[in-house]
Amino acid sequence: MAKRSIVPFGPQHPVLPEPVHLDLILEDETVVGAVPSIGFIHRGLEKLVEKRDFKQYVYIAERVCGICSCGHGLGYCEAVEQVMGIEVPDRARYLRTIWVEMSRVHSHLLWLGLLADAMGFESLYMESWRLREKILDMFDETTGGRIIHSVNCVGGVQKDMDSTMLQHILQAIDDIRGEMKPVVETFMQDYTVQSRLKGSGILTKEDATALGAAGPVLRASGISYDARRLGYAAYGDLTMEPITAAEGDSYARCKVRLKELFQSFDLIREAIGKIPDGPISVPVKGNPSGEFFMRIEQPRGEAIYYVKGSGTKYLDRFRMRTPTTSNIPALVEMLKGCQLADVPLLILTIDPCVSCTER
Amino acid sequence: MMEDKTRVFTFAGRVLKNLFQKPATVQYPFQPAEYPERMRGHVEIKIEDCICCGLCVRSCPSQAISVDRKAGTWTIGRFDCVQCGSCVLACPKKCLTMEKGYTEPDIAKKSETFTKPKEEEKPEAASGGIPVLDAEKCVYCTLCAKKCPQEAIRVDRKEKTWALDEEKCVQCGICASACPKHALSMQSI
Repeated sequence: MAKRSIVPFGPQHPVLPEPVHLDLILEDETVVGAVPSIGFIHRGLEKLVEKRDFKQYVYIAERVCGICSCGHGLGYCEAVEQVMGIEVPDRARYLRTIWVEMSRVHSHLLWLGLLADAMGFESLYMESWRLREKILDMFDETTGGRIIHSVNCVGGVQKDMDSTMLQHILQAIDDIRGEMKPVVETFMQDYTVQSRLKGSGILTKEDATALGAAGPVLRASGISYDARRLGYAAYGDLTMEPITAAEGDSYARCKVRLKELFQSFDLIREAIGKIPDGPISVPVKGNPSGEFFMRIEQPRGEAIYYVKGSGTKYLDRFRMRTPTTSNIPALVEMLKGCQLADVPLLILTIDPCVSCTER
Repeated sequence: MMEDKTRVFTFAGRVLKNLFQKPATVQYPFQPAEYPERMRGHVEIKIEDCICCGLCVRSCPSQAISVDRKAGTWTIGRFDCVQCGSCVLACPKKCLTMEKGYTEPDIAKKSETFTKPKEEEKPEAASGGIPVLDAEKCVYCTLCAKKCPQEAIRVDRKEKTWALDEEKCVQCGICASACPKHALSMQSI
């Protein structure tokens, strides 16, 4: 009879990028169950919506998380715009799309680096992050900030991009695309990497649906769902198909994210090709009254933003549900049956963002 | 994209290349960092143009700015500022700017205070006091209402009425300088 024990894992752990806590129920070295708990970095940012006016709150929404910052700003602004019935100019919609896709590239490159780091593959980790720097430099040039961009505002965007900047972005994505070849080969074909990823943490299609998984985790289990197809920002004008994989293991999740990187390059290129001239914002008069649910596809999965206003400059309620929240039940299912040594890697494959989850 | 085929030493080429390449990182601070034009590093103020209207204070999401109208001072907590640029957008006089370069680290939270230089004579149509309308000159074009950063002015073209919400008015003088007929003058209460 195997010896049963409980090992507390996190919130402070050398392999964890984010403070999530798991009580791992082990039988010898095999995980038979896991009890997650969060709440270590709750900051009460949703409550703050009652104290800051709705235009100011954009800056707070985008500071919920450092990696999904651009998407949070976009989700909040689009929700408020829907409540107020504001039509955003076309150029602003395209600019938002370009920035959000760039943020997907930087988020996925960051994740690839972290995955390599969790496997102990230091040089692959550094290579992924070296490539990510090129995108961060582009953010710095176009928005003025590497991580927190502060470009979205209710009614459009604050900054425009001239043709030189758009050319620089195209150049940067071409450079990354070229230099990605050895990285893609290593993640997809290397014997060592495959031995860590293939067949581990399998999430079946049925479990992914039943547990409400989101984003690349859901798509890696064979479900073709991507909130970008709802057509917010300029996605309605661009061509994209959700990228899926059938296996549902860590390898499939890595494959989906790698392919999404290249999909983002194509989307950025298409958006830059189609971007119209014109104004980048419209003046906003009055205060929001009403409520709206906005769904957008963040790099980590579908995020939901709910706003409710009652005609004053302070909103009554702002609520966001982030992809990590929906992926934690799926993670618990994935962990069942894996070895203790694989736990850090499996936690990483859902691309956890506890800052977003706890807000 | 290549898939599934198993190979070994796929990354060896890149690793060997790295051995003979220059580092990807910059040896900061020995080698100065190059900042792009739009970089949001820190907030600067042209204090002589500031009218202490307090719009930046109200727009700051991290409450890093304070203004004392009587003393004519503008204070920013450098460690509270989150470099969002909200104050720069809100400033009606455009005397706030985001400049390149980060503020230096310190062992304690510090704030910086700027004091307005004493003016001997006030130029015409400058800020200070509330706008007063000369109804004879006014053509009810609504430009003042459109330019007002606080939406404190209401103009009805049909009824030919002009009204000021004194509580909202920050006495910036933008309406007076925008008026094409010079029908507005700033007068102290």
